[in-house]
Amino acid sequence: MRRNWMKWSLWVVAVVVLSLPVASWAQLTTQDIAARDNMEAHVGNLTGHANSGQAKYDYRRYCVGCHGDLGDGNGEVAQWLDPPMWPKPRDFQLGIFKCRSTPTGTLPTDQDLYDAISRGFDRSAMPIWNVFTKQQRVDLVAFVKHFSPRFVSEKPGTPIQIPPEPEVTADRVKNGREIFARVQCWKCHGVTGQANGPSASTLQDDLGRPIAAFNFTEGARPKCGSTDQDIYRIFMTGLDGTPMPSFADNIKPDEAWDLVFYLRTLMAQPSKEKDIARQLGLKPVSPNP
Amino acid sequence: MRMPKQSRLCGISLCFHSALTTALVLIFLVLSGSQRANALPAFARKYGLRCSACHETWPILNNFGLKFRDNGYQIMNDHDAPIWQNPGYWPVTFRITPIWHRVSAVSDVDTYQNVGATLPFGTTALQRITTTGFDLSGLDFHTGGTLEKNISFYVLPSSDPTAAFHFETVMGRFDNLFGSPWLNIKMGRFELNNLLSEKRMVGLTGNGGIYQTYHFIPQADGNIFGQMGDNQLGMEYVGHSYDDRTRISAALLSSADGNVNLTFGNAYSGFFTFDQGVDMGKLGVDRLGFYAFVGQASTYFRTSGGAPIAGSGLGNKGFSRVGFTGQFYFGPHFDVNVVTQHGNDNAWFGQGYGNAIATDGNGGVTCTGPQLTPGCPPNNTPGTVLPAGAQAPIWNGVTVESRYVYSPQLIFIAVYEAERMSQQANGAGCATSLACFGTNGTYTNGQSTSNLGNINNYDFIIRYNPFMTNRAGMALQSEFNIFHQIGTGATSPITGVNTNLNSSELLLGLDFDF
Amino acid sequence: MNRQQVFVSVLAITVLVCCGSLLLNKTVSAAGEGKITGTVKLDGEAPHMKPIDMSKDPYCVKANPTPQKFQNVVAGSGGGLENVVLYISDGLSNPTESTAVQVFDQKNCMYSPHVLAMDIGQTFKVQTSDQTAHNIHPNPNPMTGNIPWNQSQPPGAPPVEKSWKATEFIEVKCNIHPWMHGWFAVVKGPYAVTDENGNFTIQNVPPGSYTVSAWQEVYGTQTAKVTVAAGGSAKADFTFKAK
Repeated sequence: MRRNWMKWSLWVVAVVVLSLPVASWAQLTTQDIAARDNMEAHVGNLTGHANSGQAKYDYRRYCVGCHGDLGDGNGEVAQWLDPPMWPKPRDFQLGIFKCRSTPTGTLPTDQDLYDAISRGFDRSAMPIWNVFTKQQRVDLVAFVKHFSPRFVSEKPGTPIQIPPEPEVTADRVKNGREIFARVQCWKCHGVTGQANGPSASTLQDDLGRPIAAFNFTEGARPKCGSTDQDIYRIFMTGLDGTPMPSFADNIKPDEAWDLVFYLRTLMAQPSKEKDIARQLGLKPVSPNP
Repeated sequence: MRMPKQSRLCGISLCFHSALTTALVLIFLVLSGSQRANALPAFARKYGLRCSACHETWPILNNFGLKFRDNGYQIMNDHDAPIWQNPGYWPVTFRITPIWHRVSAVSDVDTYQNVGATLPFGTTALQRITTTGFDLSGLDFHTGGTLEKNISFYVLPSSDPTAAFHFETVMGRFDNLFGSPWLNIKMGRFELNNLLSEKRMVGLTGNGGIYQTYHFIPQADGNIFGQMGDNQLGMEYVGHSYDDRTRISAALLSSADGNVNLTFGNAYSGFFTFDQGVDMGKLGVDRLGFYAFVGQASTYFRTSGGAPIAGSGLGNKGFSRVGFTGQFYFGPHFDVNVVTQHGNDNAWFGQGYGNAIATDGNGGVTCTGPQLTPGCPPNNTPGTVLPAGAQAPIWNGVTVESRYVYSPQLIFIAVYEAERMSQQANGAGCATSLACFGTNGTYTNGQSTSNLGNINNYDFIIRYNPFMTNRAGMALQSEFNIFHQIGTGATSPITGVNTNLNSSELLLGLDFDF
Repeated sequence: MNRQQVFVSVLAITVLVCCGSLLLNKTVSAAGEGKITGTVKLDGEAPHMKPIDMSKDPYCVKANPTPQKFQNVVAGSGGGLENVVLYISDGLSNPTESTAVQVFDQKNCMYSPHVLAMDIGQTFKVQTSDQTAHNIHPNPNPMTGNIPWNQSQPPGAPPVEKSWKATEFIEVKCNIHPWMHGWFAVVKGPYAVTDENGNFTIQNVPPGSYTVSAWQEVYGTQTAKVTVAAGGSAKADFTFKAK
């Protein structure tokens, strides 16, 4: 049976894929999507329903202009958003999301999507929707999920384990700098974190659109959250759909905290880490070790 | 391909309501006073959001729009400053509204003995006059936005239908001082921080286009300065929590009712608000708050040759307007907004002192001196004493606005307002002295009847946006208003007593901006 | 080892082999499997492949004393077309499953091989031989069941082992080195990739009539009908017209 399916899909896929980056993959119809309108989302003790009147109403009122009524990111204003300054709206049908607590290549948890709605995305057209009630947001999570068949066929990934945050020490900050050099964050983010690494100018997202590396030095909020835990998650899970890879195979869980501490020293916001770096006289890493 | 999608989107209401829509279109539309509405397609274009993201229905703000405004027209995603914008972006919106309306009210009409006579015969009779016709609102030029991060402005030159301009709103604001949403300052001429905004109401009629509660003045009262619906000149501090659930404001205002040129005296007033939103789960975010508008205004002017000197107001007396505000959502489609008011004017105002120079720009009589021109108020020159029986007018009012939002494109609104005097300016003593000011209205030997000036106002609105994009806005509106006020109608030729005011108005308007 | 142990061992092996052959009966060859061979040629002059400017990364420049060229179309001297994927697109009922673990190497800032063909579910290994950081970022269409992922591979990184769930020609990129560009060709059943002369051999083809497809990343797909006799060899040649 599985083989038959694959045989069929082989034909489907045996279409020439000359230039992948041209457009969205989305091909779903309203009927495809409507078949999933019993989708639920669970955050805390709240349950959201895609078929609640509230979810539909809110999606049409707040979301549809950018994300489109098929959830494919082709809303009426998507054409006016020019990356990298204004990233294009997310295509919900693909089920690929930047901000996850789960490993690269997996679906996010409901909590991840809830957090994204509540947090908004700095340096994009996505506002902060924290004026909504919690119930409204959970309903919207269910509604976002119902656009993608993947939320039926796959389970969300298992959130990565984050060890307790250790005390910041000079050694840890120094080790973080070593990691920054070793895994070569600077290739895109630059040795000083100014997003001016040698590869920064050619970055593209999965759909071939230009995208900017995060500039640590401007005081901007990272897209996937500003807490130490958020930053830990960003490089250990990767931002799927973007050039930012997962470093889970290359940085040990405890050492990842050291990198978080070093990244803090690059950021504009005052921090204990920044003070330590100043005392140590830490220099930017060398691009040619 | 995009088109069918959109029409499907917009069109759930369309399908269901095609009959209604057709009727509405046929009926044609309505329209509005020049001073309303701060809906800015310019903002929607800048941020790529639909009108409906910020507006419950344009121009009424929802919680998200309120937060946007509270942040100084910023969405707080680091792309707010014009420096980031496409050079083609120009934050201007024009708004004008052609209307057809039918107005019906009773007047004391001269009667003619013979048809064709050119002169009145000398008798009059109360008669209902009904007028219909096409009309035009003024033209608003809304422009606003961020000059630099956390520094924004709003300028609204507004014309009346004859293209005579004034500045309805002019302000600069500094937001998120020291990175805190609790520190925002604005200065200029601006709308007070009313949870239920009069500038954003969709009502259009001469009566319903304002909230009575925001403008109520007791009969013959001279205090025009407590009208919280009018844009005021001053400075305002606004603070709000990160999620805008808690909002607080304090404004220091010139007691001038927004009039420029320091026409009145050195009197100030303050406007304070607080409201708190609560997550009510499936109901929505409901808000409860209070406001207090307290201040002083001058009651007499220095004169020159008997005429008051502008800006020379003296003899400051106090007034206050306090009340509760509430915004209650019952799920996505229905909400009720309530504003209560307890008003209190000093007895001097009750006797008509205060507004010596009627230059409020709203078509008032220009007075050259106290009581020299009919309709002009008295001047409280030194030595004047209050007549016996004069007392502070006190009243209570309430506005209840219920909205049924079928979709962001179709909204039904019902407004009920009640104003009730609890203490008239002309009290019991006036009956003996006959010295109290004001001869209009229903009096018993100079004492006002207890219900003089009471108002019942009803307004019903259906507003339909045939399309909704971020590029422009257009609404078809039909509206029916009924207004009752005790003792302020035409004077009966038989009894010499003022009748009750009963008027009705039907409006069909086409409201658009771009 | 005493006799009892020997007996148990022999018994165990026998049982394993029997069960194994029962299990594998469908998929592992019986005798009589044939093969399909042939050549893929390019008709006309191969388009000019530009040399790659690797100046972004001094390591890559040093690793390639002779500048590398793009590999979208690689034609040999005799017109043989390299990196064409041959697979059976129709006629297979119970194809054998390939189990060998193939390696996709990042070497001298290029992918080796440029096109890695594989069976559905076949494990492959992505490794790096470079002293510069790469990220390995395949970009399949998630609607097929293949989910995109993106992992960093700094110098000395452990290999990444993965497989794909559905047939698809998946583009793979390194965002750090935008010229790095390769393919995972996920097909069902036996497959082959042409060598530098355009020659290929698809092994382990059971007897039968098939449609063979040849996929080239620029020129697309061509098909041919072949019949494979038991233990025999069928021939299928393809010619892509240069554009």
